[in-house]
Amino acid sequence: MLKTLIGRELLDNLMTFRFAAVLLITLLLVVANTVVLVQDYEQRLESYTGAIRTHYQELRAAKTYSTMAILVDRAPNPLSIFNVGLDKRLGNLVGIYHGFMPTLWNAQMHGTDNPFIAFFFSIDIVFIFEVVLSLMGLIFAYDAIAGERERGTLRLVLAQPIGRGQILLAKYISAMACLLVPLTLSLLFALLLLTRSIPLSTADFLRIAGIVFASFAYLSLFYLIGLLISVATRRTGTALMIAMFVWGFLILVYPNLIRATVNPGGDIQARIKIVENRIQQILDEYERERQKFLEKEGIAGETSEFSKALGLHSYAFVDPVTLMSYVENISLISEIHPEFEKYVPSAKRYYSFVEPLSARTVEKTWHIRKQALDEIYVKQAAMDRLLLKFSPVGVYDSATQAWAGTDLKGVRDFFHAARRYRKAVIDYLYAKEAMPSREWFIDDKGAVDWSTLPQFTFQRSNVATNAKRALPDMFLLLICNLVLFMAIVLIFIKSEV
Amino acid sequence: MWHITKREIYDNLNSLRFALTTVLLLALMVTNAVKHLREHPKRVQRYQDAVTESLNHLTDRADDSLYTLAQYGPGNFYKKPSLLHFCANGGESVLPDVVEVDKPPVFMTDAEGNRLLEGIWSLSYPDANLNNKDVGPNVSQVDWAFIIGYILSLIALWFTFDAFSGEREQGTLRLMLANSIPRHTVLIGKFLGALLSISIPFALAVLVNLLLISTASTVHLTTEAWGRLGIIFSLALLYTSLFVALGLLVSARVQQSAVSLMILLLTWVTLVVFMPSTLASIASSFSPATSFDEFWKQRNPIQENLWDKYKEGRSSKSVDRRLRAKSEFYTENAEREERWQEEQLKYRTSQVHRARAITSISPATLLQHLMARFAGTGFERHLQFVENTQRYARQLREFVADTDRADPESLHILGVREGMSKKPISPEAVPRFEDTLNLNRDFNTAAMELLLLTLFVLVLLSGAYLAFVRVEV
Repeated sequence: MLKTLIGRELLDNLMTFRFAAVLLITLLLVVANTVVLVQDYEQRLESYTGAIRTHYQELRAAKTYSTMAILVDRAPNPLSIFNVGLDKRLGNLVGIYHGFMPTLWNAQMHGTDNPFIAFFFSIDIVFIFEVVLSLMGLIFAYDAIAGERERGTLRLVLAQPIGRGQILLAKYISAMACLLVPLTLSLLFALLLLTRSIPLSTADFLRIAGIVFASFAYLSLFYLIGLLISVATRRTGTALMIAMFVWGFLILVYPNLIRATVNPGGDIQARIKIVENRIQQILDEYERERQKFLEKEGIAGETSEFSKALGLHSYAFVDPVTLMSYVENISLISEIHPEFEKYVPSAKRYYSFVEPLSARTVEKTWHIRKQALDEIYVKQAAMDRLLLKFSPVGVYDSATQAWAGTDLKGVRDFFHAARRYRKAVIDYLYAKEAMPSREWFIDDKGAVDWSTLPQFTFQRSNVATNAKRALPDMFLLLICNLVLFMAIVLIFIKSEV
Repeated sequence: MWHITKREIYDNLNSLRFALTTVLLLALMVTNAVKHLREHPKRVQRYQDAVTESLNHLTDRADDSLYTLAQYGPGNFYKKPSLLHFCANGGESVLPDVVEVDKPPVFMTDAEGNRLLEGIWSLSYPDANLNNKDVGPNVSQVDWAFIIGYILSLIALWFTFDAFSGEREQGTLRLMLANSIPRHTVLIGKFLGALLSISIPFALAVLVNLLLISTASTVHLTTEAWGRLGIIFSLALLYTSLFVALGLLVSARVQQSAVSLMILLLTWVTLVVFMPSTLASIASSFSPATSFDEFWKQRNPIQENLWDKYKEGRSSKSVDRRLRAKSEFYTENAEREERWQEEQLKYRTSQVHRARAITSISPATLLQHLMARFAGTGFERHLQFVENTQRYARQLREFVADTDRADPESLHILGVREGMSKKPISPEAVPRFEDTLNLNRDFNTAAMELLLLTLFVLVLLSGAYLAFVRVEV
């Protein structure tokens, strides 16, 4: 009996105008946008490879260790085509230096050729789904029960020996089967276009499967919302009108209203000031130790001459916005005057003392800074995201971001890798005994050979991590589905025909 | 006809959708007003602080000497925040709000640090602010442009999707047409009825919004601002009538009102949500931007050319010739620097213009552009600001030349310490920068877009007429 019902419903749904319209529009939108998105991705990839090339050259151009300029770049995420998340917005270029801790707040952008183009809102496949799938779900559901009630066929169906829950189940299954057609077809087209120019790994396909699953849950959620309205109303006209209102509210009004009321700032300034002062104290201590060393070396009195001989510039400061502490000792000279040659042993001792000290100092400030950044910026952002999740759009968006790896955690993975790489570079410098060497500050006896420097590599987190990050939102979507379905069954059982 | 209109309005006033619409619009408009009241004073404060500082620079330099003023120029220029920021945000957060006055460059110093060869001030245009430090969700603006562009258009469809198909379903269409009313009268009556019944909650929400904003002590709306608000309100009505016409057109052609609403929604999604963004990304990927590096490369040959010219003049025996060579070097360097910056800006601007022109096919984008223009925000306003600063820069340079000419002790060689008047000048005499908005100009440049929007309305309205005339009951 269930089978007959499903078959009837399926036929009913498939042969309608709305099915054709929805299929056409989804296909059209997804294909048109995928073409553009792929092109955009390729442009970003090109600017990424270009940046890597120039940064490699810049590294080669540094003749001494103290003037080294290691810059690492974040590759664009191919899955940003599905959900761009923070992939395009956050910085994708950061320096690696022992006197500085790389974080996303210090990152810059490579390849922002025309920043004014950022003016235009850009969309991704998930955004299209957010709007179209929800509309589809509601359009297919609004007359499921109300329509039959109006036509009088509901009475007929209920006269048969089947439970009301089964009727709903049949309706649900057949409608979802129909709705899956545009969803999967458009995704197939998108994948076809994607794989033609972007090579995807197996892991990427698994992530895309996750996105598809989330889309499915989202679609089903809106179908159920429509069904709930349909069960609760007498007339299709009313059902449709309420469904449209709910759609407008959940998709358009609520997310925008919440995001507009998000209060950027608050009393951030005061909190930052406190942390800044603490970091400044650590930097002051560094400066004291440095001076002490100079005194011990017996060149404190001749410091200016020592500095001049080495072309030494020494800074230590903290940035009042991102709380970045930066400690640098750099020699900008191409030759040493013969009469200053006497300072060379001191210089070697100086650098082998001060560079490990600055690395340690920065690591010490990092503990304080990390906590503050998390508390001030990340927590606030997480709070804002939580508010967005009161609409299914927010849940769906963050679930797909987690799958695609374009969420905050995914982007921060890169900076974790950058910090690990910093550690590797420091270890390399120790292993090569670079700090007590002459090449640290001058290249007159041969420039630095950079070929043995460890390479920076960054692998996006594996699928299991993505799944783990997406899990809470996926779970929330499924629970909402379940609760709604049960509510609908309850209302339907209690309702009069 | 008035009878039909009146009937429509009464019908709508009692409906559920009218109540929901009123609540929705009120909530949005109140949020908008509260947000504006919270943020606008801060914006104004920031602007005033910046302007005061910049004016102090100007005064100090004028007090010092004409030469200092000629060399260092005025302080930075700041864009005046619009009073009508709540109407259309126009992407202001992306656009820079300053045109900087670059410090004179130093090319050569002697052993004691005395400047042998330097330059004079020049304008430089900062890039768009890319907020790549913000880890939160994308912040969106609930401005009037959003409320009208997205919500009001949806509401218009919501009110009209069953205008004819609903009556047909109920059988009242037959009744109405059996009377001796011509069909176009019915259509116009329906059109006006729908438009008016949407305008009532909208006008109410607008009134509450403006009441909140204008009674607050922190924000003061000028007469011109009220005029602009009037224009924006009529724009909203024009835009709404576009969607009312669309609703009537589809409703007349389609038998069932449910199908009609579905078609309308899909059309709306395409026109309002997808077309602007898809077209913009297509347009921007059409013309790849010249990268910063390439612009940098263009700059170097220019400078070398200038050097050669200066070296010729430097070796001259006459002091006057030497000073003149220096002066020429200074002014030309500044001019070239400015021209180079301007070209870069122009190139980027033309790219944005192209993208904007393509997206104008969508009425939603047309509305956004028009609203931003009349609210005094957005891209065009930014260009106007840049133009204002350029005009002022010319004016100031002329003023310096004229004042120098009036000083008999000066050699009239501009930009060089030895060749210029070193008398202090009264700061009051120096022209002040004023960032003005011109309503006339706004109208002129908006004419094309206004025409296009009106054309859309007319086409849809006549389409609805044709569809309704041919309809069989």
